[in-house]
Amino acid sequence: MAGENNKMASAAEAPPRLRAAAAPPDHLTAPSLATPFKLDEGYSDETKGQLERDLSDPPSNDVMTLPDWLLAHSETDRAELAYSLLRTLRHSTLNAIVDRVAPLLHMDFVLKLPPEITSEIFSYLDSRTLLTASLSSRSWRNRIFDSRLWRDLYIDEGWRVNIDAVRAFEDEHSNLNLASPQSRKSRLRHADTDDGEPKQKKRVPPTWLDSRDQGLLDEAQRVAGEADPEGDHLMSDASNQLPGSGDRNGSQSETSSVMKSNGNSPYTPRSSPISSPSASTILLRMPNGTAKINWLYLYRQRRRLEENWAKGRYTNFQLPHRSHMDECHLDYVYAIQFSGRWLVSGSRDRSLRVWDMHTQRLRYPPLMGHSQSVLCLQCDPSPEEDIVISGGGDKKVIVWRLSTGEKIQEIAPAHDDSVLNLRFDKRFLVTSSKDKLIKVWNRQLLLPTSKDYPQIHHGIGVTYPSYIVDTNQLPSPLLEAEIAANHIQTLAPYHLLMTLAGHGTAVNAIQMNENEIVSVSGDRLIKIWNLHNGTCKRTLIGHEKGIACVQSDGRRIVSGSNDNTVRIFDHASSAEVATLRGHKNLVRTVQAVFGDPPGAEETMRLEALAVDNRFFDAQRSGASVDLGPRAMRRAGHHQNTSGSRHPRDIKALGAQIPPGGGGSRWARIVSGSYDESVVIWKKDKKGQWVVSQKLSQRAAADSAATPTTNREARHRASAALARAAAAAAAAQGVDQNAPGQRRHQIHRTPSSRVFKVQFDARKIVCASEDPLIVGWDFAGPDEDLMEVSRFFTDV
Amino acid sequence: MAATPTLILTSSDGVDITVDRDVAERSLLIKNMLEDLGETGEAIPIPNVNEAVLKKVIEWCTHHKSDPPSTGDDDDSRRKTTDIDEWDQKFMQVDQEMLFEIILAANYLDIKGLLDVGCKTVANMIKGKSPEEIRKTFNIQNDFTPEEEDQIRRENEWAEDR
Repeated sequence: MAGENNKMASAAEAPPRLRAAAAPPDHLTAPSLATPFKLDEGYSDETKGQLERDLSDPPSNDVMTLPDWLLAHSETDRAELAYSLLRTLRHSTLNAIVDRVAPLLHMDFVLKLPPEITSEIFSYLDSRTLLTASLSSRSWRNRIFDSRLWRDLYIDEGWRVNIDAVRAFEDEHSNLNLASPQSRKSRLRHADTDDGEPKQKKRVPPTWLDSRDQGLLDEAQRVAGEADPEGDHLMSDASNQLPGSGDRNGSQSETSSVMKSNGNSPYTPRSSPISSPSASTILLRMPNGTAKINWLYLYRQRRRLEENWAKGRYTNFQLPHRSHMDECHLDYVYAIQFSGRWLVSGSRDRSLRVWDMHTQRLRYPPLMGHSQSVLCLQCDPSPEEDIVISGGGDKKVIVWRLSTGEKIQEIAPAHDDSVLNLRFDKRFLVTSSKDKLIKVWNRQLLLPTSKDYPQIHHGIGVTYPSYIVDTNQLPSPLLEAEIAANHIQTLAPYHLLMTLAGHGTAVNAIQMNENEIVSVSGDRLIKIWNLHNGTCKRTLIGHEKGIACVQSDGRRIVSGSNDNTVRIFDHASSAEVATLRGHKNLVRTVQAVFGDPPGAEETMRLEALAVDNRFFDAQRSGASVDLGPRAMRRAGHHQNTSGSRHPRDIKALGAQIPPGGGGSRWARIVSGSYDESVVIWKKDKKGQWVVSQKLSQRAAADSAATPTTNREARHRASAALARAAAAAAAAQGVDQNAPGQRRHQIHRTPSSRVFKVQFDARKIVCASEDPLIVGWDFAGPDEDLMEVSRFFTDV
Repeated sequence: MAATPTLILTSSDGVDITVDRDVAERSLLIKNMLEDLGETGEAIPIPNVNEAVLKKVIEWCTHHKSDPPSTGDDDDSRRKTTDIDEWDQKFMQVDQEMLFEIILAANYLDIKGLLDVGCKTVANMIKGKSPEEIRKTFNIQNDFTPEEEDQIRRENEWAEDR
């Protein structure tokens, strides 16, 4: 048989279409299946017959029965005989036979191979290819519409999911609408096998399933959720899925019953002419009554949501609710953060307000405590934290309980001047100020033996309060003795641990990553500090004017500046990998989500290396790639610095990430500026950052204020119209007589410079000079998207 | 490895094949079996794989005998590519029956590298083809009515590239 392979191989490779021209005489064609839609002429033989022959079963009944004495001959002899016999035929007959034989060399592996192997094969294909292939046949469609396959595709896109919300949803709907006991019992075996099927070789690390609904880059690295438990089951028994054991029921019994979720209403079975599985149902009902999320549905809805972002399809909303304008801030809103249901805002009116995003109402009366503007804040609504920390122009830092609004702690003064920014995690609070300093505070009771206790570094830039002991100077037994004897102070929460000096002017913004602080200042510099000893590890230059905001995810640092640009730096090498130009004034706030898919680090390193190599090649071949920007400009080339990989556009070599900063194709940056706009940046097909949407704060406020019916009409209008309206509004300047007279009592500010934006998978919220907080909801008013968005986090 | 350097494998059709032990141990099934049972010197029956396929599998294992051992399931660290090196591509130029038999054998014998190459080969046969071409390639019966096919096409429109 081995010798035969070569012959068969060549037959299999040559497209048999060439021979399809000659129509076989009727009496020679195999009886065709009564398929109503017959495209594949010459391929209509029943697959079952073919597969049985593969297994050396007796010839199926559509072929003449051969005498036993003939079959008793060796394969070689039979082949010789067949060949000799064929030689006696006319060409037309021969062609007909070739047409009949050709399909025998092609076999439907979905029927032949066990499901865990077909799943493995399909796992190498992208979504488009899979959907095309799903048109091949029912069994292909059933196999391809495998929830687990789409779960991996979803994660490979670099999208995250709120796995806690998914699990809760599954639990909530499990064991409802139980199948009848009898059918449960009879199907249990299927459930067991299918539950473990397919054992994906490719496992997804739990890192990719974020448990939190978090929009902030610095928290995006958090690991949560357990590894997929159902992926660890045993493989299904391959033999019972092999052809012969039934073709169609060998597929996905996990989708035996599919339910459609619709808001809070109970599920109604959905009947579709094509039947399950489907991309249009949110839950899959397992035969044992448990509910599983349909990842194909999540994938599809996520694509639709991303499409809305790309096309600028959204509805606007505002805080407070239109009918409760008395709850509105009274002045500029400098700071906002939302997390789950709650949004906290801080204003020049000295108050903090906590909003319920569902009702657009205040959770409780405004929090008063600052004697001047509230400039910065961070909140964590998780039950273990349940706090808001705010900083203000009054130099104070105040810690509040989020659920009650009670003031827990006050640090006054925390700095010698306005507290401009603050960040906290479970261990530390970091504050930055107009006094040019950064301060680190403990958030837990701190012993000198703790790993979070400052490690004193003798050098310039960092100072420690006198109560911080140099643990390096004390051998650990002595240290413990001193602690036991109460000679060394155990630090209660919110003690100052260290003060970092180095910036030449106000430290406008800070970020805290695992073990470092990233700070930016009016002095145009970005600094990276060691969080444990306060030393300045690195200084990054690039911006041409003061820097107002910064984000970092440990791979890249994204900053916005008074030079009107957003820049992206490689964290590892400090190389500037992109400059985003599109704002006309200071970029005050920026958030970036790159959506690194699994394995991104290695991919990006290789891409960056390839870019460097191309540069060196170009240099060696004498191309003028290294003249520097100015000489380049004189030579007539304007460097494209938004992510171009052309050697002439490369600004720095040795980066660990490619130009543009890498990430998935869904990577997104949102920036807000004193030009009163919010820009959504995306990567184009070449991987260069472009302005996807320019949103006007004022247009959003007007849109959010108009009555619902108008708003819906507005939504239905094309994005272009909305943009035209925005432009018109901007051209008219301040429109005091906005439709609906939305602002009774509220002073309309002459401008709406943007101070803060935050986005998640579904929405952007914006704080500005306008006391009204506005938002763009890219899921609204699509019911399906609004329902499913709670499962989406990040890009 | 002081033990016998060769093993005898018996194919499903009863043919004994002598193979170097390190080659045979590309199969985790055989490797684990040897670890569990020790070296008995007896022929190892491979009941699910016939001679022709077993010889192909051994050919692959021989070529890849010095590859780093399979590291289990930690291949998340890389995105899945369907790139196949040249030797493997040539190796996989066989008829479909043989191709699927090799995949089944690799799965049964637990030879991850070979299973991957086999699956990639099939995946590459699907890429870039229309549904009709896919049906031809794998002799698939189209059991959709034209109306159903239209409906599915419409349902799939959301995935069109932006």
